[in-house]
Amino acid sequence: MEQLMADLKRQIIEALNLKHLTPAEIGDDQPLFGEGLGLDSIDALELIVLLQQQYKVKIDNPQDGPKIFRSVRTIAEFITAHKPA
Amino acid sequence: MTTTGNNTPRVYIRGMGSIAPWRSAEDLATAPAGARLVCQEPVYEEWIDARQLRRMSRVIRLGVTAGMMALREAQVPMPGGIVMGTGYGCMEDTGSFMTKMVTLREEALNPTPFIQSTHNTIGSQLALLLGCQAYNQTFTQGAFSFEHALLDAVLHVKEDPSRTLLAGGVDEITDISHALWKRFGVFREDGVRSLGMFKEGSGVLHGEGAACFLLTGAPSATDVATVEGIETLYKPSQGVLQRRVEQFLASAGITAADVDVVLAGAGGASQDDALLVELCRTSFGGSSRGFYKHLCGEYPVATAFACWLGADILRAGRVPQGVLQVDAGRTPRYVLVFNQYFGTHYSLVLLRSCHATA
Repeated sequence: MEQLMADLKRQIIEALNLKHLTPAEIGDDQPLFGEGLGLDSIDALELIVLLQQQYKVKIDNPQDGPKIFRSVRTIAEFITAHKPA
Repeated sequence: MTTTGNNTPRVYIRGMGSIAPWRSAEDLATAPAGARLVCQEPVYEEWIDARQLRRMSRVIRLGVTAGMMALREAQVPMPGGIVMGTGYGCMEDTGSFMTKMVTLREEALNPTPFIQSTHNTIGSQLALLLGCQAYNQTFTQGAFSFEHALLDAVLHVKEDPSRTLLAGGVDEITDISHALWKRFGVFREDGVRSLGMFKEGSGVLHGEGAACFLLTGAPSATDVATVEGIETLYKPSQGVLQRRVEQFLASAGITAADVDVVLAGAGGASQDDALLVELCRTSFGGSSRGFYKHLCGEYPVATAFACWLGADILRAGRVPQGVLQVDAGRTPRYVLVFNQYFGTHYSLVLLRSCHATA
């Protein structure tokens, strides 16, 4: 889980072009949207694509998005639970 | 059309901004020559919030920053409209999106390059940054894109002189676009960058740039110049071009003898430049005559750079070294930007000094 979260932080910075941040500056449980990292709806689409491209994981129910993308830890938990064997 | 006839109000350039391969006279001696004339880019973080900057591709940064420069110089925080012209549009994002379509077999495509691949992203990003909900238009008519953007903005100002309109032109070179042009052998690759290239007449430099102008009908003490007229002609014959130039100047209330400086948009290829250069020589024999595409290269909205240069000449009261081919020693009151693009698209923009009395 720790390695997956470290990979995710690096991939999020690259995919969203967050050049002003380092992986160490993103907390495992820090909110990604709103007052946390300040991501927006286009970033959410980029994260969906990232999950599909890097982990072959799809989000079937869009209603689950806010819960899955709450933090790096929740994304990692979702990947772990849904990643193809 | 000319903008001064029928007692209609003048259109003033209150502020302008340019990002180009050339910034000032000093650059000509120091800037490195290369196969592409690429912009000398500013520190974007000084102009655009980092959170918005991260999603902007290079051409958007160029256009938005040039717009911010014009607004700052004009001391107008919010324009009454934004009108941009771009011939190529957002090619970097288009290339990125299309490449991913191929490599990812049309699945799981990133949204940002797609959203930003459209031509009107530049003007809309500027509007988003400013929170400007006023008129927002983008013109994409190849090498007439900037001229039509400028004309649209001028018409809005003439309709309501109290309005302020931001008009600009922006185009970029990308690795993909340069590679494609190179395959066709369109641009020279030797990096020659001087007035000498026009005598030689053997090739055109690939260029890029962004230039924006804050226009208004209400004069102020700090105005840079006025826009007296805009004209476009597609593939004119020599006779038609000469007649239309005369008509254009006449409708602005002047003759060729009144034009102090002609900035000719010769590109460096003798067959494309011939008509323009010959007309400049015969019709504007008493004027100072200069070139500008050794400074900015050839691209669809090079006229925007030329207008910035022309307005700067009027503001400074002198023509920078490295521009003049023939110096008539006249104080600039009228500058005529006379562009051509690969011998097909011709345009005229007449600029006038705010201190001119005639």
